[in-house]
Amino acid sequence: METIAIIGAGHAGLTLAREIRQQDKSVNLVILSQEEICAYYKPNLSKALSTGKSPDQLITKEASQLEAELQCTLLHRVCVTRIEPEIKVLTYEMPDETQRTLKYDRLVLATGATPMPLPSHVADSAQLLAINHLEDYRKFRNVLNTKKQVAIIGAGFVGCELASDLSSQGYQVSVIDRAEWPLNRAVPEVMGSAIRTALSSHMDVRWFLGKTIEAVDRLNEQTIVRFSDGFLLAADVVVSAIGLRPNTELARQINAQVDLGIVVDAFSQTSIPHIYALGDCVEYHGSPLPFISPATHAAKALAKTLTGQPTELLLPSLAVPVKIGPCPTLICPSLGKRGVWEVQGSGIDLEAHYLNEFGQLTGFALTGKCVSRKMELARQCQSVASDAPLSLAS
Amino acid sequence: MPFRKYCCITCDTVYDEALGWPDEGFGPGTRWEDIPDDWTCPECSASKADFYLLDA
Repeated sequence: METIAIIGAGHAGLTLAREIRQQDKSVNLVILSQEEICAYYKPNLSKALSTGKSPDQLITKEASQLEAELQCTLLHRVCVTRIEPEIKVLTYEMPDETQRTLKYDRLVLATGATPMPLPSHVADSAQLLAINHLEDYRKFRNVLNTKKQVAIIGAGFVGCELASDLSSQGYQVSVIDRAEWPLNRAVPEVMGSAIRTALSSHMDVRWFLGKTIEAVDRLNEQTIVRFSDGFLLAADVVVSAIGLRPNTELARQINAQVDLGIVVDAFSQTSIPHIYALGDCVEYHGSPLPFISPATHAAKALAKTLTGQPTELLLPSLAVPVKIGPCPTLICPSLGKRGVWEVQGSGIDLEAHYLNEFGQLTGFALTGKCVSRKMELARQCQSVASDAPLSLAS
Repeated sequence: MPFRKYCCITCDTVYDEALGWPDEGFGPGTRWEDIPDDWTCPECSASKADFYLLDA
């Protein structure tokens, strides 16, 4: 019987397994993960406090339920150490350090991404928390238990959501970023300023923008962040949320083509035959797209491809909600990066269009009441996408 | 017919027919079958077909 092995049990890996099982009841499915496997919706990690959920309550499916529904083998807490594409065998290390091998017919890399560390001369990673999966989040909640002041490094999607979530529960939150406004790579300045103002006036979030961090040090029970202008900021807990780096080590080991992320063709195949990749470890259109929706689409198309109906991946426009309590925000990132923003509206009710060199709408961002414009703008964006289908790197 | 609830398989977001989804343009009482097929989950962009009926 044929075996499909999937490395990684995050949203991409588990969605792929579910979609494969819908198409094919007999193929042998094996999922390997470095963590304890369970299903949960990762974006909820930065919303759990305000929705009153403990880390365990975020789990939507335990391993036993996944095994029963997917009719698959789950290998928890294993580390894939070697892939031999010529003989289609992978080697993995068990928690007790014994090595085992697995013969596969097709292999999928769904290895995700890892939070980027701060430069080592700035901070020892042991002093900072980074939250990228449920186990990190458990640690964070344990540490948070008796603390009051939280500093967040990075004002991107995760940083802004965490700031909103924490401050809604009475924590004193400071957000630090080199950029001049929050979400600076995803929204224009006027919108970023509206988000900043909403979070500081309604929720008491303090902002340290346009700031470079020189060092992060421990002093007694506190962590001290020192900026290049000499300013010192003390906090009980410091969270680093400066971005993600695709996990490409395994792909590099087998000499698959890797740029920022693993390079795949329109059928999610890497440059190595019988080996595919999807989700946060991959680059789409030349850049990683670490969001839920592209991974869902890629999983659906790849499941068809792997079960006998080769299906090209077409990414529609994807609207990502950012849960910022006092300022509802919705962002549809543009896949093309050469464009200009055009903004209308006032106060926090803003609508920003990202227009490419031909004046076509390729992305948008909405705040306040304008979020209700999502469907209409997504349709306009989609029509542009279908006129110029995504040409994935070949 | 009583109102039903549908749940997104990816993110657990629930659509309750009784409440509708005013932000998405669906008033209270909007039936599941009256929601366009190209509508996507407001949280995770899963398709309408990825919602399953919740037991009453």
